[in-house]
Order: sequence, then structure tokens, then C-alpha cells
Amino acid sequence: MRVAVTGLGPVSSIGIGPAPFAEGLRAGRSGISEITSFDASGFPRRRAGEVRGFDPHRSLRRLKPEHWGRSSQFAAAAARLAAQDARLDVDRLPGGPERAHAVIGTTSGESVAVEAFTAALVADGFAAVDPDLVAQLPAGRLAHGVSEELGLAGESVTLATACAASNYAIGYGFDLLVSGEADVVFAGGADSVCRWAHAGFFRLGALAAQDCAPFDSDRDGILTAEGGAVLVLETFDHARARGARIYAELLGHGLNCDAKHPVAPEWTSIARCIRIAHGNAGVTPADIDYICAHGTGTPANDAVEARAIVEVFGEHPPPVSSIKSLIGHTMGAASGFGAIASVLAIDKGFLPPTVNWSTADPDLAGIDPVPNVARPAAVRVVQNNGFAFGGNNSIVIFGAVR
Amino acid sequence: MTALRVRGLGVLLPSVAAPGDTSFPDRQVHAVDGFDVRERLGRRGTSFFDRTTALAVAVCADALRDAGVEADPRQPQDRIGVVLATTLGSFRSTSDFTRETLVQERPYLVNPVLFPNTVMNCAAGQSAIRLGLRGVNATVAGGPVAFLHALRYAADVLARGYADLMVVGAAEELSPHRAWSQALARGGAGADCGESAAAFVVVRDDGTDGTDGTSVRILATAAGYGPDGRRADALSGCVRRALDRAGVAAAQVDLVVTVETATDDNGQFEVATRVLGHHPKHRQVTALFGDCDAATSAAGLAQLMLDRRAHPEEPGSTALLVAEGVDGAAAAALVRSPQCR
Repeated sequence: MRVAVTGLGPVSSIGIGPAPFAEGLRAGRSGISEITSFDASGFPRRRAGEVRGFDPHRSLRRLKPEHWGRSSQFAAAAARLAAQDARLDVDRLPGGPERAHAVIGTTSGESVAVEAFTAALVADGFAAVDPDLVAQLPAGRLAHGVSEELGLAGESVTLATACAASNYAIGYGFDLLVSGEADVVFAGGADSVCRWAHAGFFRLGALAAQDCAPFDSDRDGILTAEGGAVLVLETFDHARARGARIYAELLGHGLNCDAKHPVAPEWTSIARCIRIAHGNAGVTPADIDYICAHGTGTPANDAVEARAIVEVFGEHPPPVSSIKSLIGHTMGAASGFGAIASVLAIDKGFLPPTVNWSTADPDLAGIDPVPNVARPAAVRVVQNNGFAFGGNNSIVIFGAVR
Repeated sequence: MTALRVRGLGVLLPSVAAPGDTSFPDRQVHAVDGFDVRERLGRRGTSFFDRTTALAVAVCADALRDAGVEADPRQPQDRIGVVLATTLGSFRSTSDFTRETLVQERPYLVNPVLFPNTVMNCAAGQSAIRLGLRGVNATVAGGPVAFLHALRYAADVLARGYADLMVVGAAEELSPHRAWSQALARGGAGADCGESAAAFVVVRDDGTDGTDGTSVRILATAAGYGPDGRRADALSGCVRRALDRAGVAAAQVDLVVTVETATDDNGQFEVATRVLGHHPKHRQVTALFGDCDAATSAAGLAQLMLDRRAHPEEPGSTALLVAEGVDGAAAAALVRSPQCR
């Protein structure tokens, strides 16, 4: 059973919908701005990747935004866009709604709702918290928002595997399709910018002062960011029977765990994960034309990721770029945006750039970060990396339709 | 989804208690008594564990020991993974961390070593670190349905050959945050707030007839969603699919295990009996252990295994576990406990 990617739904700071997002990637547009979603005046670093243009009332058809937290809104809006892009009539699925599943990844779930709950608690105590706010807290609602918005009756599951979560979701979607559990899976992830994550990354020393500059020798960290990224995955049979446009094939995925440190990445483990993904997808390192990196822009991540890549691919790996330089670190949505960028690279024939790049890092020898300017390229097979706190590694592989 | 054989169990079940302090709503709770993280796991590396993580690591370690699997972080194993169920991780950890950004003189004066505790995969990640488990490591957030989702996830990982053995479990800590959330969401009514943790070592069912006392099997699982309030339809569909997949006749089901969040609510049992066409015995986990959110169904499965171990001579039985979540989520699992001679 082969798995087709037939729809893309990015709700991002550089564009909402596949065409604006693709243009943003190709132009190397930055989605970073001064924070407005919370009072950041007390922070020394105040930039993030907020999705300013998001209007849930315009993006959602069935979901009532007032009952759902921001991350669920992102997930549902991204899934709605993906369904439209796939020209998939979700009300008339040939196999019935039970065979359409929603699998959504996240780092912090409804983080803004948790923050509002806590603010109410600090102000007036537990008993005064609004029950409607309490109803928005469970992280499982991210997938439920998708199921509710599109009327899907299959499994509705949220994978809380932090910053690799969208790749986990895409991988589980792949498995549900190849094992015959599902005809269609809406897979991706969502997260929201919030005060406490901003504070946490700042205190870890992981927040960039100005720009996120992955693979640059002077890189100084991430920028927190948000959004929703969902892909429509279908079996080839299902996609072909309805005459769908197939962007790319989802070839396979790999998962493993460092089991070493709660936050520091580990290169041998990542190298192992790359090999697991290649094996599962039936490709070899020589087949990979482009690596859409985890590329957070912290000194540690990029060094570890580059070392793992060189270990597997040798001294001349394929180009490796990070779209986090454009949209920041969207946490649980990050590898979902990476997946969409990977599919667009195959479909439109270009490599998204790593912007803000100026100085080569001698410790990253062999890494071509596609500096600053998108590059036309014939792209057949892409590897999309996602790594996370907890040592949760997940890699997915996309290929051009054969 | 493939059938699973349960090879080991680790469980911390609660008992009725008065809440420890006045920050809780004024009603009884179900708390895990006498659990001390340092006593159980040692001082080293555990000082920043929150209770959710400590409970999870402890039951994962117990489950592997019960299964006779050596788990040593100095000799990590690539083919053993972990999948844990949750609602939103440690709500207390995340809320306390957030609180610091609001009450400190500067919003960034948080303790960075506590930051990983705010991320929902903390317990699964720490379980992997402490036990040296380098296989697939996942966390499923789904409240009352999350444990059955986690069973499905583990079954998929094993069926696809990504791991040889999975530890699947759930942990929910007692906190005023959870107790108040439950009370506020249900207008003060509903089951008491509960705390528990359970983990199960599962492998692919190879079809042999185990008689070793740990051979409880998960025959089949199903999950669905009922948009627009059609949750009962979703649950009945799950029960039908689970029966179909397991090849089990409805008449064979002799126990239904439910997780209604109010003890006078039999809604899940009624949906199940309508599909089954008869009235088997009913066990409501929330009446026994309180509402343990994502850990409720795990506690229910653990109790089935404890019953079997206490009475191995009793005839084999087939239980149907059902769960409904917030919004429209539903899930079911069929569990076979054979007679052990």
C-alpha cells in the first residue's frame, strides 16, 4: 500500500494556504516580528513568529472559535485548508467518515488556555476560574478540533511528542494507511506562542537576540513561534479513484529515542534514526536530494544534527536548510511545516533557503545550508528531520511520484 | 491492529483519602498512598521529577521487572519503546511554571531546570533515560481515551516491527489543579478526583496459549470520533469494530469496564450493552479509584490483571473496556483473561 500526499494546509507567519506559504519560502520571507500576543515588555528578548493574519472566524466553517483554544483553532484551520487544497469532499468520503482519521502533534497543547487558567488562579483562586476555560485545557482537543471541523469519525488522536510531534503524526498516519485502518488521514501539528515557553527558552539560554540563523557560526538560538500545519494523506488507491492531484509520495518514517538527556540532543542516536527512516522508506543516503533540517539555530542542535548527517551521508551530504530561519520554531507544528516545505520542494522544484546566514561554521564542514536564496533544483527524495525534548526523534521521507 | 499479549504489570492504585491541604476542593480524593520518589528511584537524577514523572518511571520499571526484562541504562536497548497516555502532562508543573512568569519581579525569572516538566513528553522521556529504552518513545494526549489510544499506538509499533517490546502506560498525579478542573467542569458534581499509574509490557500475540498467569491479551482495539455530539454513535461503532476484529461473539463478553465521570452515570455501559445485546457484569473504574483522567482505563486494565492473579483458577473471561473523552472521542478494547491452571 502506497501513501499519497494530496493536500497541504499551512497556517504560518509567512502565509496562510499552500500558495502564499510556497511564495514565502521561495522569497525567503521572514515571519518574525515583535511579540503582541502577550505583554513581552519585561523580557530582554521580544521577537517571535506570531501568525498575525489568522482570523479563526474566517478560516473555520463548523468550529465555534469561542469554545476552542488557539492551538486547536490552528489545527482545525490548517486541516480545513488542506482538505480544500486536496479538493476532498469530506462529507462524501467513499469509505465513510469512520475511515478518515485526525492525528495531530503538539508540544504544549492549549498553552494559552493554561496561561489564562493560571492568571485567573493567581488573581482570584481556583474556585473563580471560568468553567468554559477549563473545557479548553485538554491537549487532546487539537485532534478533536480537526475531527469536529471536518466531520471525521475515525480515530482522533493527539501525539504530545514535543517538537518532533508533527513527524510522529505523519508517521502514525502512514502506518494507519498502509495497515488498512484508514483511507484518509489528516496529519500534522499545532502550537501557540505563549509567555511561559518564551520564558523557559530564554532561561535555558536558547533564545536568539535578533534573528534565527541556523548553521551560521554566530547562531545564538531559536525564536519561539506558532501555527498549524496539516497534510492530507491518502492511500494511492483512494487518491486515484477520486482523480486527486498527488503532490508526492510519503515513503516512510523512522522513530527512536536518545534515552540520554531530557533536553540535550545526541548525534549517534540521530544518525541511528536517519538509518531507521531510510530503511523503512526503502531508500539509501544516495537517494536523498534535500534534507529539511530540524535546524533550530541553537549552537548545540545544529552541531549535533550536522554531525549525524555527515556520519550517515559522508563528507558531501545533500543540501540541508532550515525553514526555522523564516518562521521561527513552531514547536509541535515545526516538522509539519518542514513536511509541507519538503513536499513543495518536490512539487515546485526548489530548495527553501536558510536566511540570516552570513558566516560558515568550521565545525559544520560539508553542510550546504542553501544560504539566503532559494535554489531551483530537481528534487526526487526529501528527508524531513524532527527532534525533541525527551530525546524523541522522528524523521519522515517524501518522494516524487513514480 | 494486531493482538497484544501482556507480559508484565506495574501499578500504583489509589485509596480514599482526605485532600492534603486546603488548596483542594472540599471533598475526598483517591490518592496513591506512601509513594516516595527517592525511596523508589533513589536521589540521583530525581530531585526535579514532578509526581507524574516519578509515578510513570516507577510503574514502567516495575512492569519490566515483572516481565523479567533487564532494564539497565548502561546497556540501552534499541528494540524496547515506551508510550504513555496523558491529558496535558503535569498540569501542576506547567501552571506553577507559568505562575512564576506572572508573580516574579521579572517574567523570565523561572527555574530553567523545571522547564522540561512543562512539556507533555517528560514522563516518557525520563522513563527511557532511567531504563535505557531507545526504541519508539511516544506520548498520547487524550484524557479518558488516551490510554486506549496508547494501546493502539503500541500495537501499531509492534505490528510494523519498529520494536520488539513496548511499555504502554499512563500516570496522573493528584493536584489541586486537576481536582478543581474536574469540579469546575462538572459543576461540583461527578466522581472524586483520583491519582494512579499503571504500565504494561506488551508484545505481539504469537497465538500460543499462555498459562503463566501473565498472559492477559488485548485482542483488539478501536477508536473513533462522533462530531456534533454523536459520541454514543462513535462508541457503539468502536465496540462493533473491536468485536469484529477480535472475532469474538458479543455473548462471550462477560464484563464491561467503563470510565463514566459520575458514579450515577451509566451511559457508557448502556451504549455497550445495546451493541452486545445482553447485560454482562459492569465495573465502573471511577467508582473504585476516582476519576484518574488518562490513567483511569489503565487502572481498570491493571485491576483485571490483579483479579486474575489473585484467582488464577477462575474460568477464562472476556472484558470489554470502553472510554469516552471530552468532545466526541470514543474508544474500546477487548481483553481476554484465560484460566490459569
